[in-house]
Amino acid sequence: MAETLLWVLPLVPTVTALAMLATRRRRILSLLDVCGSALLAALTLVLAREVAADGPRALGVLRLDDLGLVFLLLLVVLNLAVSLYTIGWLRQAVAVGNMKARSLRSYFVLVHAFVATMVVTILADNLGILWIAMEGTTITSAVLIGYHGHRHGLEAAWKYIIVTTIGISFGLFGTVLIYAAAADVMGGAGAMSWTAIMQVAPKLDPGIVRIGFIFVIIGYGTKAGLAPMHLWLPDAHSQAPTPVSALLSGVLIKCALLAIIRFQTIAAAACGTAFAEEVLLVFGLTSVVVATPFILAQRDLKRLLGYHSVEHVGIVALGLGFGGAIGTYGALLHVVNHGVTKALAFFAAGTAIARYGSRDMRSIRGLFAVAPIGATLLMLAALSLAGMPPFSIFVSELMVLRAGIGHGLWVAIAIFLVMVVVIFAGLLHHAGAMVFGEPRGAGRRPEAWSPLAAMVLLATIMVLFGLTIPANFDGVLRRAVGIVVG
Amino acid sequence: MNAETVQAIIDDLGALLLFTMILIVAASQISRAIYAVAAQSLFIAIAGAVLATATGNMDLWVIAGVTLAVKAIVLPWVLHLVVRRMNVRREVEPVIPIAATLVLALMVVVMSFHLSASIGTVRQAITGNALPVGIALTLTGVLVMATRKTALTQMVGLFASENGIFFTAMAVTQGMPLIIEIGVILDVILAALVMTIMVLRVRSTVDADIADLDRLKG
Repeated sequence: MAETLLWVLPLVPTVTALAMLATRRRRILSLLDVCGSALLAALTLVLAREVAADGPRALGVLRLDDLGLVFLLLLVVLNLAVSLYTIGWLRQAVAVGNMKARSLRSYFVLVHAFVATMVVTILADNLGILWIAMEGTTITSAVLIGYHGHRHGLEAAWKYIIVTTIGISFGLFGTVLIYAAAADVMGGAGAMSWTAIMQVAPKLDPGIVRIGFIFVIIGYGTKAGLAPMHLWLPDAHSQAPTPVSALLSGVLIKCALLAIIRFQTIAAAACGTAFAEEVLLVFGLTSVVVATPFILAQRDLKRLLGYHSVEHVGIVALGLGFGGAIGTYGALLHVVNHGVTKALAFFAAGTAIARYGSRDMRSIRGLFAVAPIGATLLMLAALSLAGMPPFSIFVSELMVLRAGIGHGLWVAIAIFLVMVVVIFAGLLHHAGAMVFGEPRGAGRRPEAWSPLAAMVLLATIMVLFGLTIPANFDGVLRRAVGIVVG
Repeated sequence: MNAETVQAIIDDLGALLLFTMILIVAASQISRAIYAVAAQSLFIAIAGAVLATATGNMDLWVIAGVTLAVKAIVLPWVLHLVVRRMNVRREVEPVIPIAATLVLALMVVVMSFHLSASIGTVRQAITGNALPVGIALTLTGVLVMATRKTALTQMVGLFASENGIFFTAMAVTQGMPLIIEIGVILDVILAALVMTIMVLRVRSTVDADIADLDRLKG
């Protein structure tokens, strides 16, 4: 049952996409969209119960363990929220001419194809399939980023497809090297399966695995938005249609992180944990440091959120780099927290941008007076992103910090703390200026229900995870940490 | 064929591959770069066929055939079509001078030989110089993508880079599993397709070349 479900999961968005080809009407497309996403979420919950009860499930090249489950749950929840949000967002976008009513069908089809490829990257046990699906996400999302068809969008899309394709070539190269090392030990058959490689990992040649891991982290690190390979990220995440931005920032870069974690476990087993951790630590710190000045000086709201993703991916890499059970737990929790919060932030930002007709933060003023609920949600998201207690990101950042202190890496901790404090101040300054003050340039139109519903769903998770982590999910996280730390 | 003949042939093909790579880096006209990458793919296909005869591995025949059809014939043909359709006004447009790129490419080749000397312990289907050639092709392809502004030249760099990965896979493990290689080729085709559509779309909607799009900063 559960094994079959593994193959059904990626088929759900695929079939939804195919069903969408039958109609052009916006309402029906939105309905199919929500149904498809809800079905995906429901099936994932069924599968999650089975995996939690009886351990990892595998069939062919697909496999779901607790580590993948963390990412899969994040994906389906965000996907459902995105579908809800899209209903209201689309009505508005069509009304102002941002989306052409005639080409809606291809938009929905592409979104579901994008989701299907992401599901495969999470479920892939075979490292080759992982790579193929990852390149698939690039191809589908590149079209979506340039979907509005204006100059900036197309520029961002081209930059995205070229830079990530260069990056991912490195990833394939690293995969080939590690495959070669594994084939050397166990012979050709099955040498691309992560599970099979993990069984012989301590016997792999450390030299070749080390070089392979460097290639892989540059490759998938490009896709994850780790600095200095992040150059495409602020452009792509800011130019994409808002629901796509939420998927890119919330889920896609996390899928790339999952790929990095898979290779990290191989590298840790083959050449000791210290090597992989040092590499991740360097990339993590670089990302946090590089993102900071751009966050402070930013004027474009969605670009601000894009650079913010670079910072948070850096924090996840730091958590993995500090290592140990606490660091890894913090990193995985941060993946979930940041995904949920960032999607909420993109939703709130997209609604505000639509209301003011501008993405320049200087012209968004007094949001609270014209859209109180949306403004409150934007402020909550900003507070959480900045790392305020009691929201969820505070908890995971604290765990990452705690892991660093445990290992006595004082220089890294000092840099991390300074940057987080600076970003905290910068972000609250930006958000405060937008939410409070005298409104101008926007009327007090009623707020659409569906974007609000999506945002409230995410905000609830965000607050809940800040107060307490549900016992079921805590169990999943603990077992996932066990897989990484061993 | 005995092992020594095979190795000699593969080494010769490796030299030819590096030569085509230099042609790609040095090309000042886009059509020459396209011919060079087509020739390179042809050599990869021949290398696959030679290995297939030597080892009796049927998968390698399939891979060689697909490489020949897709990378040596169809994709270069599509690129040529786009060049004609767009009536390309501009050629390669390097970010840094071509001579400088050639020097960098040379450094990449030297580095690759050093690098592969350090990982020589892994069993290779063919010993000799196939591994460093593969690494050099991959990295030089990336170099081409990074140092050229025009879209079509960047795509040529992508194909060359992918060729390098295929050659490496053949060199160290007699190729990846067939299904994976097919999937990778499929991805390359799709990526090329999407890139082509984007190039044409930029031309038709904003009347500009990809190289002119440089407004997103900071």
